[in-house]
Amino acid sequence: MSDAATKSDAAMKPGWTPRSAWAGILSEGSFGAKGPAGVTATAREGLGIASLIVAEGGDAALAKAMKARFGLALPSTPQAAISAGRALVWAGPGQWLFIAGDRGGFADDLQALSGLAAIADQSDGRAVLTLSGDKIRAALAKGCMIDLHPSAFSVGSSALTSIAHIGVHLWRAEDGPNGAVFEFMVARSMAGSFWSWFSASAAEFGCQVTIPRACRVGRG
Amino acid sequence: MRIPCPHCGARDAQEFTYLGDANPKRPDGMEATEAAMFDYVYQRDNPAGRFRELWYHGAGCHAWLVVTRDTKTHAIEAAEPAKPTKAGAAA
Repeated sequence: MSDAATKSDAAMKPGWTPRSAWAGILSEGSFGAKGPAGVTATAREGLGIASLIVAEGGDAALAKAMKARFGLALPSTPQAAISAGRALVWAGPGQWLFIAGDRGGFADDLQALSGLAAIADQSDGRAVLTLSGDKIRAALAKGCMIDLHPSAFSVGSSALTSIAHIGVHLWRAEDGPNGAVFEFMVARSMAGSFWSWFSASAAEFGCQVTIPRACRVGRG
Repeated sequence: MRIPCPHCGARDAQEFTYLGDANPKRPDGMEATEAAMFDYVYQRDNPAGRFRELWYHGAGCHAWLVVTRDTKTHAIEAAEPAKPTKAGAAA
């Protein structure tokens, strides 16, 4: 018998640890112009994310369940319904993203929606940044074709678009201390490319990057 | 050129993929003659002027649209979902 075969199963198991979608991409701190940061970027991690797609005519039943269980109104236009800890973002006709602030109970949430929509867990497949700051619109305007002015893009508005050839899903959350707050979601595999564009665009305004302490597990 | 997507609003044409003429209807392949299938697959008009054409909003709502466009001026008269929305279905 070889040495390998005599090792216990536990010793043979690879050490899987969760790795942030932004690991090795974001560094905490500031970059670009000195002085007060015109732009802030905060990594969002540990989110529960699922895509929901209803069969034709199935939205009424899903809307009823969403309202009853989560108090969220199912948007039929590019909007995001946001409550404490959860969001429901329009993702095309008959399609939505359901997002929970943490994954505790997320499986139960999805189970409760079972049968009402085609549900696919996207939690590890997307990368999300919260972007804000006095100069955020000027930084985003370098590549984002959506008009993000408050008169055209109010709190709760959402959009699917392309930035630097990268598919982006974005929505506007409640205003924060630095004004408008935007959530930007990209496919996890595009996180590095998106950051390459955004960091170059934001540098002239000075950018402060925050990585929540609770989310530093597995940073590369 | 900007296309007024009925779901997303006006968006740059780079968000869309062009398919072409929205008018041909696929004949029943089991019944149709070879000539009818040939016409469906290969024969296309190339009008100078008003044209109904299919566009796919791949970088946005992922919906197929029928866009009525003037091929001489690029003026867009209408953009509507290619799939008719049934009563009670999501907008």
